[in-house]
Amino acid sequence: MERVAHSIGIPRALGHYLYPKLWETFFSALGLAVVLSPPTSRRIIEQAGLISEAEHCLPFKLFDAHVAELVGKVDMIFVPRILSMRKNHLSCPKLSVLPDNTRAQYGEEVRVLSIDIDVRKTPLAESMAQLGRLLSFDKSVVQSASVRALEVVKREADKIISLNEKAPLRFLVVSHPYNLYDPYLSDMILNTLAAQGVGVETLSFDRQDIEPKPLVWDMCSVMYEGLRHLDPKTCAGVVEISSFNCGCDSIAGYLFRELLNEKMIPCMTLVLDEHAGQAGIETRLEAFVDSIKEQRDAITRH
Amino acid sequence: MPSLAIEPWGNYSLGLAASVECLGVTPWSLTSVTPEILRLGAEASPEFSCLSFKASTGYFIKAAMEGVEYGVMVNSRGTCRLRYYRMLQEKLLKERGFNLFMFGLGFDGFKPPIIRYFDPSIISFIRSGSRARLKILTIDVLEREAWARRAIELNPGDTTRAMDKSLLDLDHSRTLPEIRAFRRSIKERFQNIPINPHCTPLRVGLIGEATVLRDRCLNQNLEESLGNLGVDVRNFFLMGEELRNIFNLSFGSENSRAALRKLAKPYLGTPVGGHAMDSVAHAIRCAREGYDGVIHVAPVGCMPEVSIRPILRRVSQDYKIPIYECSFDEHTSHVGMVTRLEAFVDVLNERKRKQ
Repeated sequence: MERVAHSIGIPRALGHYLYPKLWETFFSALGLAVVLSPPTSRRIIEQAGLISEAEHCLPFKLFDAHVAELVGKVDMIFVPRILSMRKNHLSCPKLSVLPDNTRAQYGEEVRVLSIDIDVRKTPLAESMAQLGRLLSFDKSVVQSASVRALEVVKREADKIISLNEKAPLRFLVVSHPYNLYDPYLSDMILNTLAAQGVGVETLSFDRQDIEPKPLVWDMCSVMYEGLRHLDPKTCAGVVEISSFNCGCDSIAGYLFRELLNEKMIPCMTLVLDEHAGQAGIETRLEAFVDSIKEQRDAITRH
Repeated sequence: MPSLAIEPWGNYSLGLAASVECLGVTPWSLTSVTPEILRLGAEASPEFSCLSFKASTGYFIKAAMEGVEYGVMVNSRGTCRLRYYRMLQEKLLKERGFNLFMFGLGFDGFKPPIIRYFDPSIISFIRSGSRARLKILTIDVLEREAWARRAIELNPGDTTRAMDKSLLDLDHSRTLPEIRAFRRSIKERFQNIPINPHCTPLRVGLIGEATVLRDRCLNQNLEESLGNLGVDVRNFFLMGEELRNIFNLSFGSENSRAALRKLAKPYLGTPVGGHAMDSVAHAIRCAREGYDGVIHVAPVGCMPEVSIRPILRRVSQDYKIPIYECSFDEHTSHVGMVTRLEAFVDVLNERKRKQ
């Protein structure tokens, strides 16, 4: 791929999924050539295992590999420093180091463009205005671009995945947006569930009015809130997708399971890493769905 | 008298134990966790929680098994998992049927809840507080002496023996004058150890996560292993300094948060959480002060410390200082650790010879 003039690269990982389509819409509206790294593939996952710090979680490793895909092809790479995405909440501490990490690794080869996102102090629109000033664009141009981008992200964040809508047995899949909306990571899990004839749904992340209790990490708190309102009558089971060494999930996962146990909703956790084999995950999902079907049948027979 | 389990903080547990005397409780504390505690903790904790969590969970379970009624755990307001330790430990203890009431050490209104509950008189509170403070500062001095002496001792083990004896004596010093007298005797205690006058030890800085840096069971006795290899270590977590930082008394000192932030600024634009910013700053400081190497210590999967490792690698390249990263979990073997330390020290020695 040739290097494009005035081009800005966006790694298809972490921040890209936390604010779906926001950044590409914003930069395109400003007239920059946006280059997204290619979708996650077997090759990128293998690359991630090789070049990234061994103890990072999978999404973080994938981020490094996606940045590596862009280096040399673009003028600059956009890496936001995400500190907080919901009022009174904090983000995963790893997200706050991303621009520094990228500079430490690729600072000599490419310019790293960054902006602080901390909605406790500045609203997102204000952060985007700062970003526009940083790139020395006209105020009104930036204004209209950010309005458009925020409309798009509002629409996108509201979307949920829903398969087999008419099936009576419905399963909920919960995970961080960067696991759930990366097709390479989640498609196989969603499709395996759907292939068993059960309904599959995900949670909406478009929630701004949540309380930081018991979890103060923003995405975990959104998921907890979603699980709290789950109705055992309509939800047959919950599948949590986590990634190996995910610090947030080590605490949040415990609280999720505690909550679901109280509600008597069966729950299973799948842990992904760069070695995750398809067959193993399929077998476990099939066993999970089978056991729930069996249990329901036994209840109706009596 | 009811007893109170205090979060384990290595040798500093002695100082912390002194601080609760005024509450009318018997302190229950250890100067390091044990393999048994680690096993209990690892069994009870979520799989991917960090070693520090597992260790302190195991510690409180052990305390509850011994019949301790109360426990006290730090209340964190930060971004890392420490924030949830107490909440989760309360649940885990309850799940296992233990009856140990946990206090959070932090301000809840004007007074910390633990003070409100036991309600000590103001005089005894100040007295035991100043004893604890003095003990903690004294341990800072003891640690520094031991690091310097162990690297050049003639007979291996002398310093460790002197250190153990000193800690025991310090624990027996009850009043302020006694502790002050002990503090004056420190120099003398270590001066009698025969040394090798021709030895110029390597200097290595230890940076990273605080509990693993401090607890010799969690870090496989890192300080002593390095000392025995002839290394003058500098452990960058000293509780005396840390407390000054927490209460903002280190204004203008080179260890103050502001000074560290300034030092780390070219590499790190945010404090991250835990001691991650301190780690980056201390690595840079080690390089500037001419240390031979740095060892970065963290529990496996530690959120703040692991995420700054690529930055440490950049610091290592820019300042040409070897940084060795090691992670610890409940499966880390002592022998494996020592072999790796020997290899690292060999590299440092060779490097020094070539220069």
